[in-house]
Amino acid sequence: MASDSIHFDKILSKYRSDPYDYVDMFAVHAGEVHFLVEDEAEVQGVSGEWHHRPGSPLYEITRERNPKIITSKTNGTVSYVNKEVEGKFVEAGTRLLTIQHPLKKKEIIEAILQEVLYLFPAPERARYYFSMDIQSRIDQKGARSIVIQPGDEIITMSLMKRDTPVYYDGEAGILHSLYFSPGDSVDQGVPLIGVCPEEKLAVVQKIITRVKAEWE
Amino acid sequence: MLSHGALCRLAAEKARDADYNPEVKKRILRYGAPVGSSLAHYHQLPRCMDLLRRRVRDNTAPSPATGQVIRADRLTGSSGRFSRSWHAPVGGLYLALLWADTLLPDFSRQLPFAAGIACCESVREFIPAAHLQWVNDVRIEGRKICGILSETVSATDGEQFHLIGIGINVNTRKFLLKLEPTATSLYLTTGKEVDLDGFCALLLARLQWNFGLLYYSEEQFLAGDRAGNHRDKSPLLQRWQELSDTLGRIVTYGYDVQTKPLYQARVIDIDAAGGLVMQLPDGSKITEYSGEISYDTDV
Repeated sequence: MASDSIHFDKILSKYRSDPYDYVDMFAVHAGEVHFLVEDEAEVQGVSGEWHHRPGSPLYEITRERNPKIITSKTNGTVSYVNKEVEGKFVEAGTRLLTIQHPLKKKEIIEAILQEVLYLFPAPERARYYFSMDIQSRIDQKGARSIVIQPGDEIITMSLMKRDTPVYYDGEAGILHSLYFSPGDSVDQGVPLIGVCPEEKLAVVQKIITRVKAEWE
Repeated sequence: MLSHGALCRLAAEKARDADYNPEVKKRILRYGAPVGSSLAHYHQLPRCMDLLRRRVRDNTAPSPATGQVIRADRLTGSSGRFSRSWHAPVGGLYLALLWADTLLPDFSRQLPFAAGIACCESVREFIPAAHLQWVNDVRIEGRKICGILSETVSATDGEQFHLIGIGINVNTRKFLLKLEPTATSLYLTTGKEVDLDGFCALLLARLQWNFGLLYYSEEQFLAGDRAGNHRDKSPLLQRWQELSDTLGRIVTYGYDVQTKPLYQARVIDIDAAGGLVMQLPDGSKITEYSGEISYDTDV
């Protein structure tokens, strides 16, 4: 969590000099790897109204005669390919390639905020909605009027028609950023909400204002 | 109502025709045996699941027994998902089952399938035309006869339990006007009353078998390909597919399909985790693991 002494200039100059996100792709499991892209190739991320069209194929990994093609989640340029492992067996988690993704202004704000807020991730790939109490308070007064505490039942996870309450286990604070709409399908580990301790709210607002004002 | 021992014997009798060798059958029945370990029967409750939820969260009592069942003759505060109406007058079978979370996550998410299969098999003893619609709606010629709610609750010490709520329209003779076009009962379909206690025993016996089958599916997974490839459907999902008429249908999919339908697609498969694999009009494929469907056309 950032302190009040956040160095705006340093953060902004970092994104000015290098307005990219570097997305490392790791082997999803052990297996023999064959790359399907080369250095500097342009790749596309998932698309389609329901995010149902997979992105560009990046590599094929084969385990026990079961080949699996892994596709890109984001658009950008391939900036690194671990050619040493081409055609070889790799362990799960081996870094295979990196995609240089050009950041938009909104993504830069989000990236900075994600460094500052406490991010509460999706426990499983599932569809999510807010608990009835939280949703009615969001509808009435807006998310940023809601203070949540560790142990609060904030979200319901729905998977195969089974609803599981999700309890917040981060720092107490204001429900600052919502990263899903009720009923959205969210991948495991992707942030659902960003929570800001009350005393940091002014700092967070400053960041947003500054980036909006200074970023072309 | 049957004792737990008699219930286990009924489950074994119903499993006689299942296509497994005697040793495997015994293992499956042993896995599912806690279903119905105790049964409390009430004349009337607001909701059976509320009572079980309170038992789980009561930190002054010992950990609640897995497999316990609460049954009520009528419910005064029943509802479906998304606050939909569920009419629960006298004549229906309403129960909730508590199950300790002892399965791997990939298998605990198949509990709603196991409950649906048990309901469908029970209804089929009277109406062979009953089918499962993904995930676990039991329907007869498009009309719903059974509703299943499934949720997970945590005790104060962090132990997790699954609550399965089941409502089956057994001898229900009349529905609320708004439900009439979409609901049916065993009585309305066959014209005959069914012994409710006997039907409850039948359902619990089927739940014993199918919960056991889910554990056996997990056992098979652990004994074989642990690496997570999930290439083959589990025995439980194979059984689900035998009872379902979802494959091949044009469906409308939505998280809440009644109020927020999202898209239309053709169902082409059920994957090894129970996900609904569909083909969109542009030819691309999409797999959903939650939400619901309504049928748009016949196969």
